[in-house]
Amino acid sequence: MNNIKHYFNSLLLIELLKGLRVTGRYLFARKFTVQYPEEKAPLSPRFRGLHALRRYPNGEERCIACKLCEAVCPALAITIDAEPRDDGSRRTTRYEIDLFKCIFCGFCEESCPVDSIVETRVYEYHFEQRGENIMNKEQLLAMGDKYEKQIAADRQAQAAYR
Amino acid sequence: MSMTNSLQNQDKNTLFSDDVKQQIDQWVAKYPDEWKQSAVMAALMIVQESGNGSLTTEQMDRVAAYLDMPPIAVYEVASFYSMYELKPVGKHKICVCTNVSCMINGSDRIVSHLNEKLGIDFGEITDDGRYSLKEVECLGACGGAPMMQIADKYYENLTPELIDSILEGLD
Amino acid sequence: MTDDSLVTIEVDGQPLQARPGSMLIEATDAAGISVPRFCYHKKLSVAANCRMCLVEVEKAPKPLPACATPVNEGMKVFTKSPLALAAQKGTMEFLLINHPLDCPICDQGGECELQDVAVAYGGDVSRYSEGKRVVKDKDIGPLVATELTRCIHCTRCVRFGAEVAGVRELGATGRGEHMQIGTFIERSVDSELSANIIDLCPVGALTSKPFRYQARAWELQEQASIATHDCVGSNTYAHIRRNELMRVVPRDNESLNESWISDRDRFSYLGLNGEDRLTVPMLKKQGRWEEVSWQEALQAVATALQSSAEQSGALVSASSTLEEMFLLQKLLRGLGSSHIDYRLQQIDFRADSVMPVFPWLGVSVEALEKQQSVLLIGSNIRKDQPILGHRLRKAALAGAQVTFINAAHYEHTFDATHIVTHAARMVAELAAVAAAAGARSSGVAAELIAAARPADAHQQIADSLKQQDESLLLLGMQAMHHPDFAVLLELTRALSEATGSKTGFLPLGANGFGGTLAGAVPMHGVAGTSIETPGKNAAELPLADLKTVILMGVEPQYDLPAGESMLQALASVPTLIALSAWRNEHLEAMADILLPVSVAAETAGSYLNAAAECQSAQGLLAPPGEARPGWKVLRVLGNLLDQEGFEYNSAADVLSEWQAAVADLPADNRIKANTLDALNLQSDDEQAVVRLAELPIYSVDALVRRAGPLQQTRDADQKQLRMNTDLARHYDVQAGDLLRITQNNVQAEFSVCIDDTTTDHCVRLSAAIPGTEQIGGMTGWISLQKVDA
Repeated sequence: MNNIKHYFNSLLLIELLKGLRVTGRYLFARKFTVQYPEEKAPLSPRFRGLHALRRYPNGEERCIACKLCEAVCPALAITIDAEPRDDGSRRTTRYEIDLFKCIFCGFCEESCPVDSIVETRVYEYHFEQRGENIMNKEQLLAMGDKYEKQIAADRQAQAAYR
Repeated sequence: MSMTNSLQNQDKNTLFSDDVKQQIDQWVAKYPDEWKQSAVMAALMIVQESGNGSLTTEQMDRVAAYLDMPPIAVYEVASFYSMYELKPVGKHKICVCTNVSCMINGSDRIVSHLNEKLGIDFGEITDDGRYSLKEVECLGACGGAPMMQIADKYYENLTPELIDSILEGLD
Repeated sequence: MTDDSLVTIEVDGQPLQARPGSMLIEATDAAGISVPRFCYHKKLSVAANCRMCLVEVEKAPKPLPACATPVNEGMKVFTKSPLALAAQKGTMEFLLINHPLDCPICDQGGECELQDVAVAYGGDVSRYSEGKRVVKDKDIGPLVATELTRCIHCTRCVRFGAEVAGVRELGATGRGEHMQIGTFIERSVDSELSANIIDLCPVGALTSKPFRYQARAWELQEQASIATHDCVGSNTYAHIRRNELMRVVPRDNESLNESWISDRDRFSYLGLNGEDRLTVPMLKKQGRWEEVSWQEALQAVATALQSSAEQSGALVSASSTLEEMFLLQKLLRGLGSSHIDYRLQQIDFRADSVMPVFPWLGVSVEALEKQQSVLLIGSNIRKDQPILGHRLRKAALAGAQVTFINAAHYEHTFDATHIVTHAARMVAELAAVAAAAGARSSGVAAELIAAARPADAHQQIADSLKQQDESLLLLGMQAMHHPDFAVLLELTRALSEATGSKTGFLPLGANGFGGTLAGAVPMHGVAGTSIETPGKNAAELPLADLKTVILMGVEPQYDLPAGESMLQALASVPTLIALSAWRNEHLEAMADILLPVSVAAETAGSYLNAAAECQSAQGLLAPPGEARPGWKVLRVLGNLLDQEGFEYNSAADVLSEWQAAVADLPADNRIKANTLDALNLQSDDEQAVVRLAELPIYSVDALVRRAGPLQQTRDADQKQLRMNTDLARHYDVQAGDLLRITQNNVQAEFSVCIDDTTTDHCVRLSAAIPGTEQIGGMTGWISLQKVDA
């Protein structure tokens, strides 16, 4: 029975017409192609892009060198060295993320007890030389300073779900 | 047991005045020789009474040396019990009970009257060194609440007026 | 199998056997049943104050603490019943009330007992919303950092001080919520075992100050290692991250160090990576140092050794590995020279022919605490070998009679008899004990015994040594470095013969025992094999006009006690080769070739400890730069010199060759009789002043000397000239004044410290401390002169 049905379907090009119907529908529908880079797709507040280290409003860096992000990172992309700062507080002397290793899973952000390491909406970057793939502490803090407004707004928007 | 206390090497007879030494020895005699540190509480009280009502670190070190104890063991005892004073106290140490019975019967009023009259809070001492104020727990005189203790004497059923006359009566 | 002397209990339905009188928690621990605890520690007394180990016991109305409940026949215990779990959860909630939630910045995070137990037995959400208490931190010295807000008052640290270290420095003052752990008055915790409280603390209240914020427990690789600063060879774990030694912690070994290590063994690693580390081979060309390749440097060494042949010699540090000592002596003996010595601090070598070939402590380390009478001659055992000091303390607490014959009064943590005398009179005091025991000797020792007038104290010691079955005579570092060591040794032999006591040694260095057996001595070869022509000893060797001298791990300005004369002699050696981990101005001035070698945990190697056990450690770190393990350097030198039998592939190969040579030679402290004609340290002038040169705990070897935090401790603060009030009055000086000291025609100036425990006509000036480079570190006669300001 099935064989007979299949025989007539293929003989009458039914499946081809079905396909053409989809084509026809989208031919006249509203277009949603985004003309990147002139146009950009909307991003969720949960977007996981390039990393940043945040500061408190008084300018003090948030990171306390607890090393949880380093421990949780499944790609071993984070390297941290710490020591007591002059005022006795626990601070990093080195905080590096290897972007070649990073898989942008967001675990570092999730593990951070002080909301210091975050992933921003920035996804457009490139490297010209070897070594540029490693973001150091200054670069990460600079990222945080530059995008703090957006970062804070995104965390605020997601606060209810965290 | 090693101790890092220069008093430790001092002749024991020179640690206290004869009178104090005699009193402490009475207490030491009550315990077996190897347990003479049992006399530490009595010794501390005797030393405190013999001085100006409070204990200094040096006095505690002397007690430690006298009873062959590590100084820290004496500090532990002295800081544990509230009747050893580790800060200077006034000539008259006014101990006001603020425990339940006294509180219900208005010890708050007594305390604020004393605060105002003497110009000091709990744990403080007047500028002339005459009075110091101390908050204490129940002294077992609930029948006469609110109450306070000065030296060995209990003063019960206190009112602000009564306090004024009591303080005037002190030398 | 049931033993009648044991009782049977049932824990969670599982029948267990336990010793009567033991606590429940010991039985559950032995059976691997986990019971949470904070205050209980197997090596400390039971406090039962944390209440975390509450378990349900059948027929008991309330849960009972497992650490303080003795086992009973037929007892039924439930560690995981609803009642037990509820009790544990409740305790946990109370403990967490005042514990700060600062795990992310706490160094204990990741290895915290409170964290672990809270996860396993605690609730998930805190119901406590009131204010938490805050406790001000205390500065208790350069080794231990405090964060007392985190303290849960288990009092392990307090009990450790009272029971193990023997110094009650910490206490719990105040009560209830105001209870604080601390010293009450501002002071540091100075015990030589103090840092063990870091391991004991179940929370992050006491942490390692040098390690503060450096690394997390989960980043560290734990590797077994051996401590190299005394003859105990404490077992340790080295914690390593990215080829860097981050910290050292104890490794349990009941027969050696139990659960403890000394502060010296724990913090010496801090000296590893200094700026003065030697990282490339250096050759002096026309008076200038040049960095060269290993090949060039080794070729230069080989050429020098080849041409000097039997005119070669070597001084090797007692902290070197057995492999290094063995290979170095093999290399030299292959060249026909026996000029090698590792006993660098020794100055009296008259006993070389009578010293045992395989010396040791005389008893096992465990058995030291079973001794009933111990006489220590010239030993500050508490600081020299802290772990042995702890064992001796246990013996003393168990009632042993412990006596010291010393030239200075050392504070001890137990009751002992101290015979403190002038350095030159130590022989006389020992002779008095020997006379009281009826000992016989010959030569000057016999004269001393005959001249002695034993007092009651001497008689009492002699009697106690005779009467007790387990009695021991120990010769300490100060005896071995004494100008009359041979006389002390002969007297000890005579005393041991008369009393039936065992004898033992407490030498300097991790291989203080191994050096002799490895043949790194001039008088005999490996395992005591006799040699035709004995070489020069450590004191003669630099002065013997040798053509080539190798210094292995030696800092000549501190490790050689003769001072300037020795430095000059070494400087005039035509080719002086230093195998060193560090460079310093003295080495650079006198040496011609510097070869960078690895040190301590960087090299595989073995150490012969006091209990006559050979312990091996792996090389755990790659040494910095071009530095190489010493045994490899010596191996290649052997190849370059075409010597036979240098085809080793590993340190283990070297060790097995040595072990085959030693074969079944037993440890044996029997000393042969020795007839000596005179005393070295003797003066007709009754007013003559002697210098007592002790080797301070934190100056024993090059690594420790570089460990910054150890140098800041009170034990390292011995940089002054100490004398008693009488002597100070005689020279009209006061504390802080400068005195010029002249010894062996060398002068040095030191400030005065008045210390009335110093004996008459004696000044104490430590060896191997800054300022003693020229004057050296020998005990001997001196003259003093006031320096006018």
